[in-house]
Formats: sequence, C-alpha cells, structure tokens
Amino acid sequence: MSEQNKSVQEKLTELSELVAWFQSPAFKLEDAFDKFKQSEVLAEEIEKDLTKLKNDIKVVKKKFDSEE
Amino acid sequence: MENNPLQLSVSEFVALTNQTLDYAYPTVSVIGEVTEFRISQGKWVSFKLKDAGAVVGCFLVVNQLRMPVEDGMKLLVVANPRLNNKGFFSLNVRAMKPVGEGSIKKGFELLKAKLEAEGLFAPERKRRLPRVPQRVAVIASTESAGYIDFCKIINERWGGLSVEVAHTQVQGVPAPDQMIRAIHYFNSLEVLPEVLVIVRGGGSAEDLMAFNDEPLARAIAESRIPTLVGVGHEVDNSLADMVADVRAATPTNAAEILVPDRNEIIRAAHQRSASLGHQLVQAIDEYSARTREQLNAAFRRIQEKLDEHFERLATLRLATAQLNPENVLRRGYAFLRGEVTLGATVEIETEHTIAQAEVKHVRTK
Repeated sequence: MSEQNKSVQEKLTELSELVAWFQSPAFKLEDAFDKFKQSEVLAEEIEKDLTKLKNDIKVVKKKFDSEE
Repeated sequence: MENNPLQLSVSEFVALTNQTLDYAYPTVSVIGEVTEFRISQGKWVSFKLKDAGAVVGCFLVVNQLRMPVEDGMKLLVVANPRLNNKGFFSLNVRAMKPVGEGSIKKGFELLKAKLEAEGLFAPERKRRLPRVPQRVAVIASTESAGYIDFCKIINERWGGLSVEVAHTQVQGVPAPDQMIRAIHYFNSLEVLPEVLVIVRGGGSAEDLMAFNDEPLARAIAESRIPTLVGVGHEVDNSLADMVADVRAATPTNAAEILVPDRNEIIRAAHQRSASLGHQLVQAIDEYSARTREQLNAAFRRIQEKLDEHFERLATLRLATAQLNPENVLRRGYAFLRGEVTLGATVEIETEHTIAQAEVKHVRTK
C-alpha cells in the first residue's frame, strides 16, 4: 500500500507503533530522530485527512410503512 | 313500516349488522379497564373492557399481543366491532396500548420482567461496537429533531462514514412494526452495516411507548448487526435501550458513542508526536549525561593514577636524596679514594675539604 492510499486508521496505527518503538528495547538514539520526524509527518497527515473527510448520509428509498 | 318489518334469517341479520357496523364504524378506539384477561390454547386472547357503566368483550390472536396485559390495566384498543355467528358482540382488536401513567408503567414492568427472565438484558449478550465504523445503518424519523441532532454531531465529530437511513415513524401505533421492518431490511443486506443505530428525541411516556413494544425489543435483541439505541432524554429508559448492545442517553449521545471526535484525535496525534520529541531530547540528555559521567570517571581514574605515580616519585626522590653522597658528607662522613696499602697516598674528601694522606699503618678488621 502506498503512502497516498493509507487510511487514517492505518496512519494512527503507524503512529502508535512509533510510540511503542520509543519505549521498546529496540530504541536506538541513532534512529530516533528519523522516527520522530516520521511521527510529525503522520500527525500532519492525520489532521489533513480527518479535516477534509465528509460523511455520506443517504436515506434508503424503501418504505417501511407496510409489508411488501 | 312497523307492519312490514324487514324479515331476515339469523345469518342474514348477523351479516347485515356487520355490514352496517363496517359502514358506520369500520374502526373504533375504545378506552376501558381490562377484566377477565385470558389466553386460550396459547393462540387466542380475550378480555373485557369496562367502565362504570358498561362492559364490552375484546378478542385478538396472541401474536397481536405486543405487551403483557393484566386485569386492572387501562387500555386503548383500536378495533373492528363485530357480531359473531354465535350472537356475541365483540371488538376484534387490531392494536392496543396502555393509557395513563399507571398502566404504561405496569405494562413496561411486566414486559421488562419477562425479557429479563429470558436473559435479554444480560451483560454477556452485549457486543462491542467498532471503534471507528465505516458503514452505519440508522433507523429514525428523518424529520425529527433527534435525527437532525444525531447527524449534526456525527458530521462535527467524524468523516468518511457511509450512513444509510431508514425513515420510519418513531411514535404511534405503526411505529414498532415500521422499525422492525427496517431492522429486518438492514439485517438482510448482503454486506451488513457494522452498527445499527436507532434514535429518537425526547417526548412524553406515551410518545416513547413504541420503544417498549415486545416484538421491537425482540427484533433489536436478535439483530445480527450490533445495536446502539438512543431514545428520549437522559432519564428515559425504554426496553429497546435495555436489549440494545449499547445504550445511549440521547440521540446526541448516540452520535458521540458511535464515532470519535476528530479534533481530539488530531490533538492526540500531535501530542503523541510531540511526546516523541520530548523523549528524543530526554534520550539525548541521558546519553550526554552518561557520556559526561564516563568521561569524568576516566579523568578521575587518570588523576588517581597520576597521584599514585607522583606519590611514588616523591618516595623515590626521598630515597634518592638519602643516598646522595653530598648528604653523607654533610652528616660528617668522608670519602677515601685510593688503595689502602702501606706507604700509598690516598685522597680524603669531607663536606668542605679534600686532603691527601699517606698510609702508615694497616690492620685487618
């Protein structure tokens, strides 16, 4: 999946993984700056994505006032 | 006319009476107190409605009974008046509802006890709603304030939802059946919505009575789609609420439960990223402190070694000084140079003088 096609949910998951990495034994100071920059980009993208999303609300055509 | 009355067979008379009733009163609404309520063979329900001056029999089939009924309850029945072939006049009930606070409450408590005994409110039956659903089904009256509030809040809080709305009545006699049909409709879709929401704004106990209907409560309980019901105000409790997987206090609260607040998520995402920045700075500080500590330890070790060497050097210098021949001369001793044999000349050095002397006598010690 390309960066463009990632859903907000996937980006939130990715951000959570970065947070977890910082608290895990895998943490390395050498890599931490890049990971931090990634988290900033993700937060920006999440904001942008969430702000522009609109709901699609449709009333179904079917009538429910009698059995069909 | 009196001399020539209409002559009819009994069957014709019954048919004519029913025809007249159909014409004059096809449907009547009658209010009265229930007495002699009984269910026969598990199929037929009969009771009488009475007031201070009269009594009338009522009849319906058991699957039309939408709530438990007891003697003493005050009911409004919607019925067709009929004279049957055995000559008994009755009201063929099409719909009925309790009337008055006491009877509404009684009907509610009876049905609540019945459904509770069947385990329909049990916490272990409750399913969790997805944190962020994508496809949502809603049953509501699209003209109601409750529905408008619900839409306003979900639009404010979240985006990207696909919401299908079934417009039904949410109060009055037809409302429960319409909502049941809508529940069945959504449950029969090839791709099921992730959540089924039923909302209705506040109203009187009588307005909200549709949500205390037994078949509706059962349809909600049987829904394959997890249900979220927000009916009335905070203080209103309906059976539809109780059988739902999740109860919301109001339609607005249903929207708040259904979707997270995007502003909170955005704020949280930035906070999490910022917290990583703080952690990074902290890690750098810790690393620097550790490095500084290691350097200090190395300097301390070097200093200790130097001190040890200087101390040793001082000792050696002292020892060397004590061995210095000058110091020996200063203590009053003298050096003798030359071979000590009779007649030989030797040189004698003291602190301040050097003298030559001849050896005149030698004795072995």
